[in-house]
Amino acid sequence: MSKFNFPFIKETNELSNLRKEVREFITTCINNNEFTPSPDAWVFSADPSFSKKLGSKGWLGMSFPKEYGGHQRTALERYVVTEELLSSGAPVAAHWIADRQSGSQILRYGNEKQKSSIIPRITAGECFFAIGMSEPDSGSDLASVKTKATKTKNGWKLEGRKIWSTGAHLAHYMIVLARTSPAPEKNRHEGLSQFLVDLALPNVKITGIPDMTGQRHFNETLFDNVELSDASLLGEEGKGWKQVVGELALERSGPERFLSHFTLLDSFINEFRNSLIHSGTKIVGKLISEIQTLRRMSFSVASMLQNGESPETQAAFVKELGNKFEKMMIETLREFSNIVPLHEWPNQLQNLFEDATLRIPSNSLRGGTTEIMKGIIARQLGLR
Amino acid sequence: MIEELEIILETTSKILQKHVNHSLRQNIVSENTDILNLWNEIEKNGLPKISVKEKFGGYEIPFFSILPLIKILNNHGTPLPLSETILSNYILSESDINPPNGIVTFATDTKNLQIKNNMISGELLAVPYLNLTKNLLIVHELNNVKKAILINKINGEIINKKNFLAEPRYNIKVENLNIAEIRPIKNNIDFNFLGAILRSAQMIGAMEKVLDLSINYCSERKQFGRALSKFQAIQHQISEMAVELSASSAALSTITKLGLSEKNSNDTAILKIRAGFAAGKIIAISHQVHGAIGFTKEYELSYFTKNLNSWRNDFGNESFWEEFLGKRFLEKNNKNLWEYLT
Repeated sequence: MSKFNFPFIKETNELSNLRKEVREFITTCINNNEFTPSPDAWVFSADPSFSKKLGSKGWLGMSFPKEYGGHQRTALERYVVTEELLSSGAPVAAHWIADRQSGSQILRYGNEKQKSSIIPRITAGECFFAIGMSEPDSGSDLASVKTKATKTKNGWKLEGRKIWSTGAHLAHYMIVLARTSPAPEKNRHEGLSQFLVDLALPNVKITGIPDMTGQRHFNETLFDNVELSDASLLGEEGKGWKQVVGELALERSGPERFLSHFTLLDSFINEFRNSLIHSGTKIVGKLISEIQTLRRMSFSVASMLQNGESPETQAAFVKELGNKFEKMMIETLREFSNIVPLHEWPNQLQNLFEDATLRIPSNSLRGGTTEIMKGIIARQLGLR
Repeated sequence: MIEELEIILETTSKILQKHVNHSLRQNIVSENTDILNLWNEIEKNGLPKISVKEKFGGYEIPFFSILPLIKILNNHGTPLPLSETILSNYILSESDINPPNGIVTFATDTKNLQIKNNMISGELLAVPYLNLTKNLLIVHELNNVKKAILINKINGEIINKKNFLAEPRYNIKVENLNIAEIRPIKNNIDFNFLGAILRSAQMIGAMEKVLDLSINYCSERKQFGRALSKFQAIQHQISEMAVELSASSAALSTITKLGLSEKNSNDTAILKIRAGFAAGKIIAISHQVHGAIGFTKEYELSYFTKNLNSWRNDFGNESFWEEFLGKRFLEKNNKNLWEYLT
């Protein structure tokens, strides 16, 4: 079991100061009515002008190298900034994927042109990304993707369909996982490659799919024989699987896996503090113990990323625990309505609660299902 | 210090690997020479006084730094009150009392305790391993001052012997028992916190073992023509054990690094909650995947799960610490939750 350690990482004074700085900035934004805190804001709440503002503060692409407009700060500093943004429900959806995973993926695998043309724009909060993994026939079984890139004289021809592409209608690029050679019978992970696809290219068609809340973030993205240049290949041909697994570690381990509905919890406690003192100390204690443990674990993964480790399994632990916690939190609040009936809650809180109830099933689907997380863990335990 | 600790960890593991087996665990009595030999070997290594000040002949390694050692002792299922002795000796030494040689156990739960003329009377409850030693640390609060009381010749009337959970525990009534030493505990440390930390570290060591046993058993046992570990239903259950265990280990590593102070007393609560909760899950799942064999005395799983059941109830269960955490936040400050957490 020693391979699943989450060493304790202390938040230094420098980090705490950064935290304060971000918090003050957010408070000012809220006071100036620049945004209203909202739940699940990293998926649902996109505001390109807010993203740009964060870029100008130096809080995007924080760990990227200076030569590409980055700030060469640590993954721990980025962690602190993202925690503050998430816990306040700030509208971060526009840049979220670019800042979290696509930028790092390009820095790690991209060619010089890709790096110098895109990274500075991500850092400025002007370039957004969508994820190109799932397809109509490939969900959990990612290696079964059918989207195909065929070599042409001048580059590649991309053909296929990606689905659930959150924010693709606002994004400039998508990193697309496609098959570049037929799957060998023994190892389906071979023959896959990643492509950096400009979504403004001809023959790219993006159609919205309203989700059960009625909002649009999902899309279907059709690539109808899209001509790609040679330089659109991201990384090495045929090594797409290894690359995508690394990308998923970035996707799964962050605080968005347990702070998506923090604004709800915060408002709930502020509203019912007095009743909670009498009849809810235990539930509040339980929630505190969960959040603090998750914060420690996620922070520890950030430090592993900083040290250049590949914490794919640890990321699965954080995601699995985080998803469970969020569901438990909603249930706990629901039980409290036994003490103060739901219809007596202030309107705004009621809305937040119902909204969260509606959205919560998606938290253990996006970024890999519970079943996939457990499968990853089982493999590391030597069971598969 | 770190090097010293590493060496001690390594030699201890070797001793335990050589001497501890399941039959040893079935006969935890002072007449069992194998038990006594194991103790002697461990004592020769200086382990019981690892956190004792140098002036009292110890290694003076801080108690919180040796939690990985507590984990190892319990990962091996060592049927001796080593964890109890290490903590008792630490408290004695911190209270400027020279810890005795040999096993020292502790009594923290008491009834009608009275101290007169350097003698003590009353009932001591659920004292672990009282059958193996005459040395006892009693922790007792007198006029808001927590005192460490050392007894080196315990005797009295055993009123209840409770050991259907794995370790021997005794309720004993003592009358006019001589006190060897009595002193205030340094910084008025609350033993309940230390106890909760100790039991959590023990649980995590035991849970690691239970997880390993479950993995090994399911990989070897074949049903329906294949190993149990190849069934997804089984894989997912075992993954769940690992997930809960990893959360407790993360909570333990916080304490190992930060120790215990007024400022971070929440971390002790979090640790005991996580470990207790994980233990509940892990006991249930490990027995489920083991089937009937896990329910036998002969197979070692139950030694660990019985201890887990006992330790998760010691020094405050999950509810106790959840109340503590919730109260501390709701009653003692007006910050909003996020400010408080960060």
